[in-house]
Formats: sequence, structure tokens, C-alpha cells
Amino acid sequence: MIDKKHFQQLADIVGEDFFSAEGYMTHLYSHDIAALPGIVNDVMNTQAEAIAQPTTSEILSNLLKFCKKENIPVIPRGHGTSGYGGALPTKGGLVIEMTRINQIFHINKGAMTVEVGAGIIWGKLLEDLEEEDLTLAAYPSSAPSSTVGGWVAAGGSGIGSTKYGGIREQVVDLEVVLPDGQIIRTENTPSDFFEDETQEPFFKGDEKLQYAADVYNETDGNMTSLFVDSNGALGIISKVVLKVIPLRTIKPLLFSFPNQEQTFGAMQEILRLSKPYYLHFITSEFYGMLTEVDHAPSTQNEWLVLCAFEGSEEQTEDEAMRIINAMKMYHATLESEEIAHHEWDERFYPMRIKRLGPSLAPSEVYVPLNRMDDFIDHCNRHFKGERMAIEGAVNNQDEVAVLTWFLDDERRRIPFLFGWYRSLDVINIGVKNGGRAYSIGMWNVAHSSKFYGKEDYTKMANLKQKTDSKGYLNSHKVFPGPLYLSTRIGILIMLAAGFIVPIAIMFAWWLIPSVLTAYVPWIVVNNLTSFLVWFIVGVLIGFVVQEFVNLIPISVILSIGTPFLRFGRKIFH
Amino acid sequence: MTKPYEPLRIEGLDIEPTVCARCGFCTFVCPAYLDTLWDSQSPRGKLYQLRDLIKKKQPIPPDFAARIFNCTLCGACQEICQTNIPLLRFWQLTRQEIGELDEWPEIVNYIDGALKETQNIMEMDQTDRTLWTDMVDDLVEDRLGIEAEVAYFAGCNISFKGTLAHMGENTIKVMNAAGVDFTILGEEEQCCGNPYFVAGGFEKAKELARHNIIKLKELGVKTVIFNCPGCHRAFAHEYPHLIGKESTEGLEFLPFSEFVLRLLNEGKIKFTKNYPHVVAWHDPCELGRHQDIYNPAREVLNAIPGIEVRELKHNRNKARCCGGGGLLKGTDPLMSVRISGRRIEEAEKTGAEFLASECPSCTMSLNDGIEHKESKMKFKDLSQIVVEALGL
Repeated sequence: MIDKKHFQQLADIVGEDFFSAEGYMTHLYSHDIAALPGIVNDVMNTQAEAIAQPTTSEILSNLLKFCKKENIPVIPRGHGTSGYGGALPTKGGLVIEMTRINQIFHINKGAMTVEVGAGIIWGKLLEDLEEEDLTLAAYPSSAPSSTVGGWVAAGGSGIGSTKYGGIREQVVDLEVVLPDGQIIRTENTPSDFFEDETQEPFFKGDEKLQYAADVYNETDGNMTSLFVDSNGALGIISKVVLKVIPLRTIKPLLFSFPNQEQTFGAMQEILRLSKPYYLHFITSEFYGMLTEVDHAPSTQNEWLVLCAFEGSEEQTEDEAMRIINAMKMYHATLESEEIAHHEWDERFYPMRIKRLGPSLAPSEVYVPLNRMDDFIDHCNRHFKGERMAIEGAVNNQDEVAVLTWFLDDERRRIPFLFGWYRSLDVINIGVKNGGRAYSIGMWNVAHSSKFYGKEDYTKMANLKQKTDSKGYLNSHKVFPGPLYLSTRIGILIMLAAGFIVPIAIMFAWWLIPSVLTAYVPWIVVNNLTSFLVWFIVGVLIGFVVQEFVNLIPISVILSIGTPFLRFGRKIFH
Repeated sequence: MTKPYEPLRIEGLDIEPTVCARCGFCTFVCPAYLDTLWDSQSPRGKLYQLRDLIKKKQPIPPDFAARIFNCTLCGACQEICQTNIPLLRFWQLTRQEIGELDEWPEIVNYIDGALKETQNIMEMDQTDRTLWTDMVDDLVEDRLGIEAEVAYFAGCNISFKGTLAHMGENTIKVMNAAGVDFTILGEEEQCCGNPYFVAGGFEKAKELARHNIIKLKELGVKTVIFNCPGCHRAFAHEYPHLIGKESTEGLEFLPFSEFVLRLLNEGKIKFTKNYPHVVAWHDPCELGRHQDIYNPAREVLNAIPGIEVRELKHNRNKARCCGGGGLLKGTDPLMSVRISGRRIEEAEKTGAEFLASECPSCTMSLNDGIEHKESKMKFKDLSQIVVEALGL
């Protein structure tokens, strides 16, 4: 929680124009792209208390120093375009939105890199690079609105990842502001940085706000790699150096297939014969939903595979011809160039079908391409009766980043709440079929250890422990954190217990009077005074229950709750 | 007083804030968001806030009402929307809701008063409607209120603002050169009602719409020519919606560029003179995104010998707004001029000698942007280029 006296100090650090604690504003920065069941917001403290938009790394450094000193929870945020809860507050606090650190600092055509502020939008960066005849090797499907730093922090794959890998493979160097406010460059930071007290970061920040840093004595490995996918839990990324490639021809091909088997067989064959820039599919059910919203391309069949090649005109033509010939044995129909280009342009628009909901319950998981058949069959069995659209894009490790969309309606609070299990089950089904979580954020923390690998996860945990032992920076992300019940729910639990205890005693006297008379005759509610006494006892019990619940990690609550949600959905669907 | 959100509910648009995917694609094309970088100014942020208000049936609070008017109605949000929300109509109806709550900004109430009083937005006497014809008096003196198949509708800005009068003059010169038999309504021309459409005061525009249509039909007009895309849009798209499709049946509405292109194709005018200039083209929102008209102006310019037309980085359906739409010039003039300045910066990067467009509102805004940025860029209206290229 932020003490009111701190608002002005925060505004002074970041600048009055770039700070807000007004209710309507904090409300807007307390959600991400996912619509959460109403009860989540009722139970958890997801309401930010203030927003700051730092304009330089130095201001960001000063903000973090102040927040660490005052133990103000900090939640870093790109543009809120992810749905894993990585940018959601969990115990109020200050949201630090990075969109004002958005410059292109340097384009190095020799090294083929670009250095940008973490808050720059991918779409803007692509536009500006095009003017230099350059482009990005990979960018997210949310490029028109997501920030570079956001994707680096959340991790994952996107457009171009089939050939060039995900965001991890694109990052050359990072400037990170650590929880104590120190600014480091990950590429130039030796792996023993946290051991060496004499090592000077190039900026130490405003002396007035400079606090004694902890002595770090253990870290190893590649610092850049450690911060990618770390969801801002280890530090806030302020600048990013990315790889760039020459701007060359993109040749999209669109194939339609009669069924699932031919589709995935063909996709494996495409990868055997070539290295497309982007390889993406949609299921026939997705196609059906696109038809309902008037966005389905006019194709021969309803299983679609978009395969885009990148390179010189000659290279792309050669690769395209090779694939066109190979696809004949999969009963593929090569759709027209016009339709292929239309589908290429639609690569940023996976949520066209949302109108049918009007809400979507999404989930994302990596599944090996050769297990996609099993995965989809499994999903179809598991989610029988649900309207589910599936699409996916292949990364450079022959894994498919599968996105599932369930149509839903958030206005129907109870069915929507119970439907939440689907997003969690999709990941579990993916894992059972040889896959792994796509991103961690807050909701997938149970998968953290496997996702990062035990060794890296231990390093990250050590780093977190040493730089931010109180967990003020983006708590509950990557590392499990206890549920912080909102004050409202806490009071509700205590009041409910206050009434339940005396009523339960009265009920017990009606049901088993002889037992009570024999063993606990002093437990009795027979007038207003005794009712009040037991009411107070109930309130105290409620307080203890509430404190106990506050010790349970969110990931455990989700694991315990999923079967109940699944059962509830069957009743209320 | 109607029920809360009745304007949106009647057209089935009250669900749209829930349909919003919150992807934020609309944010980085929105002039108001780009000016502030606060989500409260973005379409996404406004939809999020409206979603809660509609759900709870709570009225739009005054500070939020003011932010709803911090919008140029450029339609860039609708163009990029992931879930195809008809945002232009949505914002118009939300403004209507604000009007019904008596929370219109002061400038809208002023315009409302002026229109009721004088039938023009400048609060000037209707007898001054023909002041713009002073420089082409000889060409129009016999044209006032006569019967003809072609009419020129000047609109309030060109009629009353001296700095824009040249657009009307140029159009008259072109029509004269092409031998077009035309008429002008003069004092009988009333505001097209566009300010009401922009502010969501639809009912108030009915009388103006009916008057203009009746007067044009009385003169036997079949084709109406506009320099102002706002007026053109009002006649072509709002009137049928407002007073019935039958009201505009038999009438054709042409923006200046489309009219000139027709004259060129019919051989009534021809560019013969060399015009060695480099021009960057700005698509007016009310012609481009609102009505999907992008090509006629480019075709006209490309028909001029010696001219080189350059595109801005954001062009056609992705064109950035000039800052002058949606009444923003009245509600937040500083934001408006900053938006104009950004468009000028983009135009400067083309290396063109001048920036061109075909819209009185864009003309004013972009000239303000040039001044704000102290830019060396010059602005020319399409009609001016056409007249110069024809040697008129």
C-alpha cells in the first residue's frame, strides 16, 4: 500500500505530468488484455494506487530506490497487452508504465543491431527500421501496440520466429534497473557482478536517493538471458539492443486442407524441406467462427496453413516452388496470392472472433509439432460442448505456440468464473502432450521451475532474494506469492464468521443438546450478551482464517480450485 | 430525459465496450492518446471506463464527458480495431448521450446557439453567405439561385472565413472553364449540420438537412459539388440516415477531386501547362477513412504534367489526422495544434515543397501546425493546384 504522504514525493521524482493517483486512471492500469472473473478482482487487491511514467532510466532508478526504501509495491508495465497477469497488481502499489522511454537510440548497421527504449512500440520500430531498409527478425503478433520491453520481459515467440527464433534469440543486450535502483548493462556485466563490491555500474543515481546496496555474492551465467522472460521480477528493463535483418521480400503462401491429419503432416513436411519465416495454422472450427464474423477468406477447405518465406526474391520463389510441389501429396489447395496476402496482413488479428463471445477465455501453450494431432484430439475430448478455436505458429524448435480461444460472456459472472478452468487445463493438456507453458506471468507460476529449468530458476531465485528480499518489485510473478485478500473480503470473512459461530452454537443446541450438556455446557447462546461474546469469538476466528488464507500461494489456490471450477462449469454451462 | 445509454442501446452498440479486445491497437493511432500517452485519452481506455458505467447504469461523469470530446473523430481507431467495433458511430452516440445529460462542452453549446440563431456556425448574418464570391463576382452574379443541374455547396467555413474563400473561388473558376452550368444557393444555403453530427445532436440537424435538400431540389439540382468533406459526408451519409433515404434520391454528391476527375475524363478540362512541383498528399479523414475516397485526388494530381506526388509515411486509411476534426479545435485547441504539428513533421520528411489536401478544416489545422512548428513547409489546397495548373 502507498501512504498518501508518498504520492507527492513520487510525483516529484517522476514529474507531475507523468504521475497520476486519480481513481479513474488507476482503474485503467489495473488490468491487462485478459478479462478476469469478477471474483478475482473482489478477492485480490488488483487495484493500482498510482501510475508513474518515467521518461529516463535515471528517473526510473530513483523511483525504484524510493519505492524500495518505503516498501511500496511496484508493478512494471509495457502497454498491458499480455494476458498472463505479469502486469497486474496483487497488493495495490505503483504501476510503472514504460511507454515514455520510447526512443530509437542507435542503429548499428555494421553489427546489425538497434538500441531502443524499452517502451517503444514494435509497430513503430518496424516502420522506422523500414526507412533504413532494415527490419526485425521477429516481432510479436501484438506488434501494433505492444512494447519491446514488454515482450522481452514476458518472453515467447511471434512472427518470424519459425526462422529466427523467439524474443530470447533477438536480444543482444539489455539495460536493466535493478530493484535497488542500480542500472546495469547485461552484456557488459561480468557474471560475477553480484560478487564484486568494487564493480561500478555506470550510473548510481541521485545521491539523495542512493541507498546502501546489498552485497551480492553469487551469480553465474549469461546476464542477458537471465532477464529475458523474467517478467520484471528481477529488475525493470529500460533499454534493449535487438538484432535486425535487411528488409527483404516476404512471400506468403496459403494452403487449405481437408482435415487435421493432412494439415499437421503437411506442416512437418514444410519444415523438413525449408525454413519458412512464419508457419501458422488455424483449425476448421476457427475458420467457422471467422465465417460468422465475415472475416474468413474464401478458400477451398477450412484447415488453413499460412507459410511465409523471407529472403531475396529468387530465394523466396525457389522455396515457394519446392513447397507448392511437395504439398500436392497432402491434398492441399494452394489459395490465390491475393488471399495469401490478406491472411498475411491478418497476422496481427487473432481476436476477430471475440465479437461472438463477446468475451474470450484464452490460453497459450507450446506443443511439439509432431504431437499436435494428439493435443487437438485431447482438447476436443476434454472440452466437449465448448466452442473452442485453435490456432498456432511454429517456432524454430519445431514447437507450436498454440493459442486456444473459448467463446464466453463475462457478463454471466458465475459460468464465466467456472469457465476459467479451461485456460489452466489447456496448459496441462499441452504439458501432458510433451509441451511446456508459453509464458509465466502470474497465472502460470506453478510451471516456473520447469519453464526456466531448475538451474536458471535457482539463479533467478537467489538473485531475487538478494536484491529484493521483501519482494516489492512485481511480486507474485515468476515466484509464488501468497494471496493478499482485499480488505473488503477480509472484513467480509470476519463478519461472516462472527455470525456463523453463535448461529452454529444455537443449531448445535437444537441438534445435540445432550452432548453439549455433558461436555461443554458453557458453550451457550441464550441472550444478546452471549450472542455478542460468541460473535466476537467468531470474528477472531475469521481473522485467523483470513490470515491463514493469506499464507497460501496463488498457484496453490489455482491448483486446488481448478477441479471445483471444472465441476462448476459442467453445472452452469 | 431518456434512459441511460439509450442512444447506444437503440442501435445495439451498448455491448461494444465488452466486445473490445483491449489489445490497444487503437491507442498508437489515436491522435489524443499520442499527444498525452495516457490511456484515459485512448479509445481503449474510454471503452473500458464506459463498459463499467454502462454495466452499472451510471451516468457519464463531467470529467469523463470532457475526455470523450478529446477526440478528432478521425476514425483511425475504427480502422485498426481487432473486433470491428463501429467506433465512429459509437463515439457520435456517446456524445449524444453526453448532450442528453446536458454536459456538452461550452463550444458545442455555443455552436448550437449560433446554428439556431443564424443557421451558420460563425453566428454571422445569412446575407453575408456570398461574401466569398467577391473575387469571382463576375462569374457567379448570374448563378445565384438559378435552376441548374449542378450546384456548388460552399459550407460555413468557406463562406465566412476569408482565408478559405479561395477554395470556393477556385471551384467556380474550374466550373467556368469547363463550361459547367451551375447554381449556388447563396443566402438559402444553411449549415450542413455537420457540427451536430459530430457532437451527437442529430435531432437538431434535421431542420437544416431538410432545408438544404428542399432548396437544392427546388432548383432542379442533380449533382452537388463540395470542397468540404464534412459537408459532403453530411449530405452523402448522415442525411439518408437522419431524414430518410428517399430525401437524397436523385441527388449525387461529389467532392471537388472527384468532380475535377470527371471533367478531365469527359475532356472538359485538360492540364497542358508544366507544373514542376513536388507535392505531398494528406488524406482528409472525413473523405478517406469515413467515406473510403482516396484515389480521385491522386489521379487528378498525377494528371498534371511535371508534378511529383509523394506519399506521407501514414497515408490513405492509415493517414494521421490533421488535428482539426471532432470539434477538438474548440474543445482543446492546444492539443489540436500539437496534433497538427506532428502531421507537419511527417510531411517535412517527404521532402516535398508543399503539403496538399482538399478540406477547409485540414487547411486551417495544417497551417496552424506549420506556424506552431515554425516549419518551412507550405500548404496548398487541391483547388489551388488545379487552378494554377490550368493557368486560370
